[in-house]
Amino acid sequence: MPNETTESRPGEISNSKEQGPPIYLKLEDNIKQICDRLGNSPDLIVRAYESPFQNIRVKTLYINGLIDKELVEEYITHALSFDSLRQGIEPAAEEAFAYAKEKAQNIGKEKIVEDQNSLLEGLLSGDTMILFDGLEKGISVSTSGGEGRSVTEATTQVNIRGPKDSFTESLGTNLSLVRKRIKNPNLWVETLTIGAVTKTDVSIVHIHGLAKEETLQQIRKKLADIHVDSILESGYIEQLIEENNYSPFPTLYNTERPDSVAGNLLEGRIAIFVDGTPFVLILPATFFMFFHTVEDYYQRYDISSIIRILRFICLLVSLFGPAIFVAALNFHQEMIPTPLLINFASQREGVPFPVVIEVLLLEVTFEIIREAGIRMPSQIGQTVSIIGGLVLGQAAVQAGIVSPAMVIVVSLTGISSFATPAFNMALSIRILRFIITFVAAYIGLYGIAIIGLMLVAHLCSLRSLGVPYMSPVAPFASGDQKDIFLRTPLHFMKTRRRLISKDSKVPGTTAQLSRDGRHES
Amino acid sequence: MRKEVIGPFQLFAMIVLFELGTAVVVPIGLESGHAVWISILMALPGGILLYLVYAYLYRQFPDLVISGYTRKILGKWIGWPLSLLYLPVLTYNGSRNLREAGDLLISSSYDRTPIFIINCIMVIAVMYILYQGIEVFSRTAEIYFWVIVLMGLIANFVVIIAGLVQFKNLFPIHPGEWVEALKSAYPNIWIFPYGELVCFTAILPHFNSKHKIGRTGVGAMALSAFLLSFTHAVEMSVLGEDIYSRTTFPMFTTITLVNVANFLQRLDALVILTLIIGVFFKMSIYCYAAVSIAADLFHVKEPRRLVIPVGSVVLYSSFVSAENFPLHMNDGKVFLENILPILCAVIPVLLFIVHRIRRRFGWYK
Repeated sequence: MPNETTESRPGEISNSKEQGPPIYLKLEDNIKQICDRLGNSPDLIVRAYESPFQNIRVKTLYINGLIDKELVEEYITHALSFDSLRQGIEPAAEEAFAYAKEKAQNIGKEKIVEDQNSLLEGLLSGDTMILFDGLEKGISVSTSGGEGRSVTEATTQVNIRGPKDSFTESLGTNLSLVRKRIKNPNLWVETLTIGAVTKTDVSIVHIHGLAKEETLQQIRKKLADIHVDSILESGYIEQLIEENNYSPFPTLYNTERPDSVAGNLLEGRIAIFVDGTPFVLILPATFFMFFHTVEDYYQRYDISSIIRILRFICLLVSLFGPAIFVAALNFHQEMIPTPLLINFASQREGVPFPVVIEVLLLEVTFEIIREAGIRMPSQIGQTVSIIGGLVLGQAAVQAGIVSPAMVIVVSLTGISSFATPAFNMALSIRILRFIITFVAAYIGLYGIAIIGLMLVAHLCSLRSLGVPYMSPVAPFASGDQKDIFLRTPLHFMKTRRRLISKDSKVPGTTAQLSRDGRHES
Repeated sequence: MRKEVIGPFQLFAMIVLFELGTAVVVPIGLESGHAVWISILMALPGGILLYLVYAYLYRQFPDLVISGYTRKILGKWIGWPLSLLYLPVLTYNGSRNLREAGDLLISSSYDRTPIFIINCIMVIAVMYILYQGIEVFSRTAEIYFWVIVLMGLIANFVVIIAGLVQFKNLFPIHPGEWVEALKSAYPNIWIFPYGELVCFTAILPHFNSKHKIGRTGVGAMALSAFLLSFTHAVEMSVLGEDIYSRTTFPMFTTITLVNVANFLQRLDALVILTLIIGVFFKMSIYCYAAVSIAADLFHVKEPRRLVIPVGSVVLYSSFVSAENFPLHMNDGKVFLENILPILCAVIPVLLFIVHRIRRRFGWYK
């Protein structure tokens, strides 16, 4: 390679006071301007290429760490050697520019930039800029790369059977993980940039022909209406587009499992990928989705069905467990068999507090242990749970602050709440549990029944992008029941959910999709 | 705003919950003695006919509540005051349900809680759900339909496996008792619970599949008649005629007798829950009917604004209408025999006949 490259530190270049959006004719002015606007940041690399021609002076700019070094070395250096131009007479700058642009096609996504703002934007998203002296334009080549976490095992949604990979922080990797699972041209991706400051890439992914067009339009509109400075996690998007801000229940599903995303896309749902986070949003989400896991489909149907029912029982236990206990002890002693009641009474003999205070003490302690266990470094987390669980529980009973039966009730509810596969749903259930316990302490089972009615009414009033949250139970759709409380054998599941996907009836749709490549709609 | 719609199954669930409402817990048709379960079935054809009248009127005026087409059919000057009659009757009937639930709760476990508090909590829940709109209400009904069916199955199953059912309490039925049964079927059981479906004339305008109206309603009525008859037969067979007629809440008394292997006992909560759910839905439908008729009569654009006033009236009248429960039951008898038949049967049938005549002779402008 004839070209010697010299790296110059931009920090050494003196500040220039000039401002202005267009790219200047003089190369040095441009470099100065860019360094200035980036605050002389040391990670901006400016490389000068010694060209074989006197009249052509070229510099490339990129930000260290955002680019794929190999790409830059291999292609840019190659493109700027002007090998095949060498035979002729000295080319004009314009000619060299065209030549470099053509060469840049080897990498792809090359484009001509003509103002400083787009130049900077490109630089910051990992593009390499090629600037020529004497031309008021430059070439931008997409060379984004750099360091990132590699694909590892899912940490929040663990399973026994099924693929072990999970999403990473890189949007490209995440999309590829889904593409690897759905090898179909109808898997469409639209990307847009959100966040005035962060300029985060957000991708809407759907399967053309399965997802409902109205839902897509709605999402596009909602995303376009977001005007915020920063999008640091998909949680920002979630909170900005959900319809029911004042509900404790999540109306968007998030997952870090590619197989879960693929499965949901195939059901006609739409996924939103956000650059910089492994959590992908799936919508529209319904209540029952939060109690399903992908593993349900990998295990045999009978086992999965029983486990699903178990999860719904756990939901009821974790919502109403302490409340029913408090109600029974306070108002409905006759509901408890007499020997057990006497037993409870003798246990509570030394306990100075009313039942509800006892429950609250234990519940709050439990929440503290749980919260501390999450934030602690993992080595200490174990210690916290041992101290919390064993020492506090045992000691609190012996000290006469709480009764042993209460410890059982509270730990059972605590463990039940872990049986909910979706963490955000488990969180809302935790909060509601406190409210229901209070109501039960005030007016017993009657209060539980009434608050249950109101809770169901509230759930029925929610919508996730126009889809009723409680569907397909309310509104009831008999054809869609085979994958809600039970997981029927796979050969029964030939239709998709009516309210969610565009094509529900035809089992052949999938075949058509794979045969024609395009779905006729 | 988008018009709220309800589907066939939602209507079905609402009718079943409405029919079962309180009727499943309180004794009905006392005159018929142990043949009460036959009376319930006997009253069904009449109830269905009455429902078909409502359904016919709905098909003729799919966008109007009962007060709307009363004015269309009978003219503004007769129609408006006649429709106004529905308001006190509906609110009073709603408050009666509330009172019954409150009294059961107080007699079962809240003997130290004032009835005002009990009723107030229920009314708040009703207001909340009505404020959410009929669509949310109908979806909630759908979910609770399954809950009620499940609880009913459990309760009946437990009573049967506990070996409490004694057929000698049900049979034989003498010829004289058939007449008795018929007498209690018409008009009492015919009006309560079947005739009370007149409330649905306020809900039907939201129904989305006009041609299914007959099938849905008749199916729901048949199912609820069967469930009611079965439940009352079980209650009667367990308690015997004597206790059944003297107890305030036969279902409650029945379930307290259950004891399976010293483990399944004390299932009172199940009955209380059934009653709470039943009353909740029945009352909500009454209140909803009152709200939409009032909104129609007084030209209120946003019916939701009437939810709180109507709820308050129902709450107030629930504890001032009668001093004690026997008095309340007595009032109920008078109300059931004298006032309800007029509103549930006479007026709709009158509307039906007048409408047919006017249409036959082309007397509509």
